[in-house]
Amino acid sequence: MTDEPTPEPFDEAEYRRRQRSRANLMGWLLAGLAFLFFFITVARMVVPK
Amino acid sequence: MAQSLTHGAMTLPADWRDLFALTKPRVMSLVVFTALCGLLAAPGPMHPVLAFSSILAIALGAGASGALNQWYEAGLDAKMKRTANRPLPAGRLDPQTALHFGVGLAAFSVFLMLFAANWQAAALLAVSILFYVLVYTMWLKPRTPQNIVIGGAAGAFPPLIGWVAATGTIAPLPVLLFLLIFLWTPPHFWALALFVRSDYAAAGIPMMPVVAGERATRRQILFYAIIMAAAAIAPWVLGLAGALYGWTAILLSAAFVLLSVPVGLRTAGEGDRMQPEKRLFAFSIAYLFILFGAVVADHLWPL
Repeated sequence: MTDEPTPEPFDEAEYRRRQRSRANLMGWLLAGLAFLFFFITVARMVVPK
Repeated sequence: MAQSLTHGAMTLPADWRDLFALTKPRVMSLVVFTALCGLLAAPGPMHPVLAFSSILAIALGAGASGALNQWYEAGLDAKMKRTANRPLPAGRLDPQTALHFGVGLAAFSVFLMLFAANWQAAALLAVSILFYVLVYTMWLKPRTPQNIVIGGAAGAFPPLIGWVAATGTIAPLPVLLFLLIFLWTPPHFWALALFVRSDYAAAGIPMMPVVAGERATRRQILFYAIIMAAAAIAPWVLGLAGALYGWTAILLSAAFVLLSVPVGLRTAGEGDRMQPEKRLFAFSIAYLFILFGAVVADHLWPL
């Protein structure tokens, strides 16, 4: 394991920017997963076992 | 939410680009390609949504393996020029975030494979992740110069998983494709290890050139290139692939062995630019891409 890294100087704007970008990404990923699982379910119903 | 970079009571959330870099995207591209080839070369059609989901599961599994590898090796990465700027050694991400991300991604990838394909493919995916993280990263890599030889099995799983996702069974052709990547890995990585030797020595990783010396490594590269060539041609000889694959395998493998000969027989002096080694390393990547492309082309358009 590495030595403890030196913390970056705290920046409120950077904090908000990262929080917003991650929240957006999480939203898109969850929506994508919901669609994917929906289509997988449909595909499994039409594909014969 | 995963956190990073504490400053007093406040913390900066990890940047998604650093989490993405943790998955070793460049390695993932080869994994996805070989898995897709294994899936497309399998007999019988697969529903496009299930095929896409299976490949996505393999990609996420590879990403999880990469993340857990970087989490465990953060200290070693910090000592090597080539890896010092990765998110963990550079201090842009904290280890706990990397660990949670890797374990979560691994569990999700296996679940997705189970849901989209079958339990056999999900089990193989789980075994490949555990093999890469526990057997290769934690056990073999820091202990033996044979780390790449046995650890190469982890990278050889994708075409087998792709095939099993499509069919639910293991057959001789994907086993030979597994063997091909397994035998391709040592000359590929040892060629790299020869020209970044000082990096591995600085990190104390017992790569073959560091422990056994350059001469022994060069001989082994040549040895593995020859048996890899035999394994590459075997599917055609055994009647598991057609002439399109057979001729591609013969020509490419001959070129691979020819490029390995100068690497295997020469001695590099002080200040050597290692051109033959760099050429072999670059060609080995193209070799695998073209050969696996030929497996699919041969299946779809047999001569």
